[in-house]
Amino acid sequence: MADSSIDLSQALGAFMEEARELLDQMEAILLRAEEAACDEEDLNALFRCAHTIKGSGGLFGLDEVVRFTHVVENVLDRLRKGSLQFDSALITLLLECQDHISNLIVAVAEHSEMPVARSDALIVELQGVLGQAPGGPAPGGPVATTPAPAQETAAEPERDEDGSAVMAADHWHLSLRFGEGVLQDGMDPLAFINYLNQYGKIAHIETITDQLPDFDGADPEICYLGFEVSLISSASKAEIEGVFEFVQDNSQILILPPQSRIAEFLNQIEALHGDVSRIGEILVACGSVTAKELEQALAEQRRAETPARIGEILVEQGAVPPTVVEAAVKKQIHAEERRNVESKSVKVPAERLDALIDRVGELVIAGVGTHAQIGRLDKPDLLESADLLLSLVEDIRDMALRLRMVAIGEVFSRFPRVVRDVSKELGKQIELRIHGAEAELDKSMVEKIGDPLMHLVRNSMDHGIESAEVRRARGKPEVGTVELNAYHESGSINIEVKDDGGGLDRERIFKKAVEQGLISPEAILSDQDVYRLILAPGFSTAEKITNLSGRGVGMDVVRSNIEALRGTLDIESVPGQSTTMRLCLPLTLAIIDGFHVGVGSSHFIIPLDMVVECIELPPDIGDSAYFEQRGEPLPFIRLRDVFGEEGPAHPRPRIIVVRFGSRRAGLVVDRIYGKCQTVIKPLGPLFAEVPAVSGSTIIGNGDVGMILDIPALIRHCSDIERSYLRLARPVAA
Amino acid sequence: MTTDVAVAGAVSSPVPSNPGGKLAIEGFAAEQLYLAFRLSDEVFAIDILRIREIIEYSVPTSVPMMPPSVRGVINLRGSVVPVIDLAIRFGREATGVGKRTCIVIVEVQHEGATHVLGLMVDGVNAVMEIDAANVEPAPSFGTRVNTEFIEGMARVNGKFIIILDVGRALSIEEMAAIKAVDAQNS
Repeated sequence: MADSSIDLSQALGAFMEEARELLDQMEAILLRAEEAACDEEDLNALFRCAHTIKGSGGLFGLDEVVRFTHVVENVLDRLRKGSLQFDSALITLLLECQDHISNLIVAVAEHSEMPVARSDALIVELQGVLGQAPGGPAPGGPVATTPAPAQETAAEPERDEDGSAVMAADHWHLSLRFGEGVLQDGMDPLAFINYLNQYGKIAHIETITDQLPDFDGADPEICYLGFEVSLISSASKAEIEGVFEFVQDNSQILILPPQSRIAEFLNQIEALHGDVSRIGEILVACGSVTAKELEQALAEQRRAETPARIGEILVEQGAVPPTVVEAAVKKQIHAEERRNVESKSVKVPAERLDALIDRVGELVIAGVGTHAQIGRLDKPDLLESADLLLSLVEDIRDMALRLRMVAIGEVFSRFPRVVRDVSKELGKQIELRIHGAEAELDKSMVEKIGDPLMHLVRNSMDHGIESAEVRRARGKPEVGTVELNAYHESGSINIEVKDDGGGLDRERIFKKAVEQGLISPEAILSDQDVYRLILAPGFSTAEKITNLSGRGVGMDVVRSNIEALRGTLDIESVPGQSTTMRLCLPLTLAIIDGFHVGVGSSHFIIPLDMVVECIELPPDIGDSAYFEQRGEPLPFIRLRDVFGEEGPAHPRPRIIVVRFGSRRAGLVVDRIYGKCQTVIKPLGPLFAEVPAVSGSTIIGNGDVGMILDIPALIRHCSDIERSYLRLARPVAA
Repeated sequence: MTTDVAVAGAVSSPVPSNPGGKLAIEGFAAEQLYLAFRLSDEVFAIDILRIREIIEYSVPTSVPMMPPSVRGVINLRGSVVPVIDLAIRFGREATGVGKRTCIVIVEVQHEGATHVLGLMVDGVNAVMEIDAANVEPAPSFGTRVNTEFIEGMARVNGKFIIILDVGRALSIEEMAAIKAVDAQNS
């Protein structure tokens, strides 16, 4: 057991993860409850969440989690039974409790101090709720179930506090045979037995050492011991079963209710462990049966000819009502179904997936290289099989990339809560609508867009949506709407944050920007350009600074975050009606469709979505850096000069016309190789500040090509030009 | 030229990031292994634990707007590795390409992560053991190498060899900063 600390921490990790999922589920249900009445299923699920957290928390000895969750569970139990009704205040309280449980668990994970004071405050509130409720601690409430006889239905695991009169006189008998691997799985059998004290008093424990091998042959990591426990408890069978939930798959756990028939004892125990007489003695030792009863039962059993199935015996003997068996069977089926659902997805560590994708990327590169070499051989048969191979490899690449794709709903799911809390805080009524939560994008993107999106949503709620009075005056519905909308468009994903608020005030933004020296008062700007000013660092039009926004930090951070993801942020606004922030992001950071060109002896990749057309450089162009194309001047950059390339030049250079946003520019190159799929290889910190190059890739022949960052390249060139002009100005003047 | 890289890469099997020498070091703390190499006529040495492999020279792909000390990048079995010309880094003439020119792949720490750099050298001499007792501090001038880059001067067979402080001589912060200045000047 001494070595179990590592395993235990793993199990604790699993517990954390499970608890987080359960808490998310609780949150979702609570939010649903606020919108509409939630059904019985939801209430049961809610209860189960708290119950499971409490149960598994107990296993790990997280007393504070257990203590707090227990009270929450009581309230949820009351809700489930209908003796309490949801109202807004209760939901708020429960959401706070849910947050608090989550904080407690975080505190466990970080080994920081438990916020006990907060627990106490919330417990007082919860007890307040329990105290007011009809059918509270006072017995005989309207819905309190009548104390059940010896057997309780398994589907109704909880009993009222006032049910303690039942079977206090007798005790449960638990026959525990933990799986051999229980210690290796990070579970301590003793912890389970100790946890039984939560439900009652352990009257006697008999340790079964039959399986224990010689000292030399014993593996200290294997659990050889069995336990027979007699437990005085008023808990239901399901509750006691729940204690062993984590080990029930690999262990033999037999729970016999008080006042069970002896024959039943023996039958069940025999079914499990075989040797009746040995077990019988143990039962006598535990005080579960008397020696005389045992004798009789054994004799009786010998007379019985056909061994019947346990369930049948139980029903026949009237020990268990048929409903219990049915419920148990149902439960088994349910558990099986659940397991099936679980088996449909496989959890894989992200780095293993990344390693796979990396390798597949190299496979594609190698495949393309081989294909190109075979293409030069003039052997059609070989070329055909190389074609096939390459297309298969590309399929595999696509599939491997799809492994990393997750639904964007994962990000969206945290917004209902945010919108709810923020709208309460702002005193506005705001409804959140989510569309396209199933749209998929790369896992790494999902992790990175959460914060920018959060900022945009908060901004929309704070600045976008007007107060209820203003909305009424403008003839809009009082309840404002924020929409989150995701959809795929030509190889990228668009995410819109749209509000039906007042829209952006062009004049005010313009005025503020002039005041803050961002633009000159004479500047002539399109609506788009004015709206984009709100993305400038330090810009804020909010007259008052709220908790949420208005400090003028944020939108520029959002913009730089999005640009770091190679995305763009567009702003559309209809004054008085709506504002839409549209993020356009690539689906993945690992691969882009590129356009492969050559300058001198170097290779460059231009992101394909920026390429508009390729034309020949007019021969009479001379030294100027623009030419007329369809009536418009098109500035161009000679990559050869900018990059100081000295390799062989082409007599007739070409121009690649690129576009980003609303700007167009030409890039003069020597050679055009065409479209290619490009696996991005980061260049590392040494090149972090190189303008114009965003990464590198390995092209078909094994050479390294540079991926051009077009906006940065053009910015760089115009900066250089501007600094020349600045130098030239005094001379001209 | 490109297939050369692949072949060279395939032949020299990649040394795991933690070469066996690290264990041996506990045994004899006084003597350490160094890789000695030539830059024009001078011999330098680098702690062998920093060296990942040595590959045949192949023309690096130049990266635009980088200072001349960064010759470019090469494809090392699928990873893109920058190649540094140590001679230019030390303020000398660029390293010419000869028969014995090769690229020494070293590991450098930067902001908690290990990065891989290639050093272009005129030839690799040997792996040698140097006793710590034979290492002297660098003189304040006369080596024609920035003293900050020098860990010590080792006396081997009556001659001095400059042991480089890889962390300083190949400081990624510093090299990236040089580039920023150069880009402004250009």
